[in-house]
Amino acid sequence: METALNALFEILSFGAIIVLVVLGLGIIASMMGIFNFAHGEFVLLGAYTTYLVYSWGLPVWLGMLAAPVVLALIGLVLERLAIRRFYAVPIVAMLGTYALGIIIRETVRMLIGGLYISIPAPLVASLVIGGVQLPEWRIAILVITALVMTGSYLLLTRTSFGLRMRAALENPALARASGISTDRIYAISFAFGSALAGLAGALVVPIFSLFADLGLRFLIQGFLAVMLGGVGTFVGPVAGAGIIGVLSAALPWAISPVLADVLVFVIAIVIVKFRPGGLISRGRV
Amino acid sequence: MLDKPRESWRAAAVSRRRFLQSTAWTAGAVATGVGSWVIPAPWANAAAPPIKVGIATDLTGAIGYAGNADANVARMLVKEINAAGGVIGRPLELYIEDTASNESVAVPNVQKLIQRDHVDVVLGGITSSMRNAIKDTIVKRGKTLYIYPQLYEGKECESYIYCTGPTPAQQCDEFIPWLIKNGGKRFAFPSANYIWPHVLNAYARKVVEASGGEVVFEEYYPLDQIDYSATVSKIMNEKIDVVFNTVIPPGVGPFFKQLYEAGFGKRGGRLSCVYYDENTLNINEPYEIEGLASCLDYFRAVDKTDPVSARIQAEYEKEFPGKILLAAGSAATGMYRGIKLWAAAVTEAKSVKREAVAPALDHAKISEAPGGPAEMVPGHRHCKMRMYIAVAKGGNYEIEWKSEGLLDPKEC
Repeated sequence: METALNALFEILSFGAIIVLVVLGLGIIASMMGIFNFAHGEFVLLGAYTTYLVYSWGLPVWLGMLAAPVVLALIGLVLERLAIRRFYAVPIVAMLGTYALGIIIRETVRMLIGGLYISIPAPLVASLVIGGVQLPEWRIAILVITALVMTGSYLLLTRTSFGLRMRAALENPALARASGISTDRIYAISFAFGSALAGLAGALVVPIFSLFADLGLRFLIQGFLAVMLGGVGTFVGPVAGAGIIGVLSAALPWAISPVLADVLVFVIAIVIVKFRPGGLISRGRV
Repeated sequence: MLDKPRESWRAAAVSRRRFLQSTAWTAGAVATGVGSWVIPAPWANAAAPPIKVGIATDLTGAIGYAGNADANVARMLVKEINAAGGVIGRPLELYIEDTASNESVAVPNVQKLIQRDHVDVVLGGITSSMRNAIKDTIVKRGKTLYIYPQLYEGKECESYIYCTGPTPAQQCDEFIPWLIKNGGKRFAFPSANYIWPHVLNAYARKVVEASGGEVVFEEYYPLDQIDYSATVSKIMNEKIDVVFNTVIPPGVGPFFKQLYEAGFGKRGGRLSCVYYDENTLNINEPYEIEGLASCLDYFRAVDKTDPVSARIQAEYEKEFPGKILLAAGSAATGMYRGIKLWAAAVTEAKSVKREAVAPALDHAKISEAPGGPAEMVPGHRHCKMRMYIAVAKGGNYEIEWKSEGLLDPKEC
């Protein structure tokens, strides 16, 4: 019973981390049609910002608050300088953002001397429920993920900005004719996606420690999630992320971890074979 | 209209300047290659041409922190040897190539050392996969002496390859009985899925069983796995006393953290890891790895009782202050021994020719190195050295045990 409860918590908690990372990636992919290969490095930059603030002697949580803001600004600047030139050419966008990712990754590697740096979590205690240790920080991540997910969903479905965003996605020409500045919407969407990546990096860095390749693992899982969930909606990538996160954490409980790693991909490919558009390829949100 | 010719002249001038600039860059890159560094000998003449020492190490990429430490040690030693008059009256010239933590980048770069620079010896390679990738280029096709400085799984018995890092026997024979005494009998072997953990575990298992312990489970994970909840649960449920870890970064940080959170340390479990040095201490918060035991040829804590180690460490820090540490887990101490042993062999052989140096290197000895003296075991191409067991306490190591003499590598 204890083990089952423990497993459930660990699986949910890792699932939440993947959802958090994929959220930004999914929004950019779905809303703008751009596969941002630098997304993993945006996560890394979020983690690095947290470290930077912490290394100045300020509290960690302040760094975590700063990370999404800093990443939104970086996203905005990058969108204005480079990303906007890629909208018409998605393949070039992939290569361009991939190059951007390498630049960011290697710069961070240089800045931290290629080392692995521990960053303490703002909450270090554990709750004990039914004899199982539940680290408070992992619980916090679960809660924050749920809040961010709900917030993003409400933003897209219940606000006029969300409506304009979806309009710009569905029919850019008509949106422009209706007086919506798609240019601005795209810039804000990209900044928003980047901010979510920054937040994800900031929240997970106490668990995984800071190192230059932090974003790489998430990038692969992130893309698998987007592929599985389907591009074009908000819910699709989130559902995909949930499945990938839960599978990655759950399979090693049952089978050899090396096999589990491969099996996650196999399962994802089989699902995509039967649903080439992803799990949720059509829908309003 | 009048301005036009002038403008075109200016444009031509600019482009000519650009052209010259880029040609200079290209020429520079062609001459030395990207990722190549040459530190010329301070003096040399026709009678005493420089001896060329090649270093092939991971200056960039995932284990760049270790490679840079190795390169720093080489720079420091070459400077020191040259200041003392060189070797057999000839100065040393250092050729450093980046192996970039990537075997496919490494091989062409090592070829440069052999074919273009014609170095007299190559030291380097950190991971076993890197050693396997570059050794043929150096030893078979290059007909050059190769010294591998990192702690490793053993079984490298080819001629002209000399290993100066600790072997499984040196890291396990004393350490595992110590772990049984200071932890318990039930062992878990969580491991990254590549050659070093597989071969090391096979050796460690024998020692555990011979010492009256038991390996409850041995499990391998993808190298980039970062969630270890299933493993941690198994460790807790199986009432494991000692975790003999060979999971590597990036997984090791989250793994140790999850173990701590599950209360492994609190209920008296002993964490152990034989590559853990001062660099890896920072991966986790000190309280998460309190009590972690490691067994290596050098820890900074040795400086307190060994003035030679303290002097070498101080010299290194003076020359290279900052984040790149002289630590045992990154092969820096093996690099130190390697260069010194090779220099001793060249001095004895009075030649840099491979056929002359190899027999001398086979029994070379040095009295001073980080951690203590070292000597090659004749006919075995591995190195005897002093070993230490240290335990992490409050973010630093404390030495718990030190070998009486130099431990035998028991290889080849």
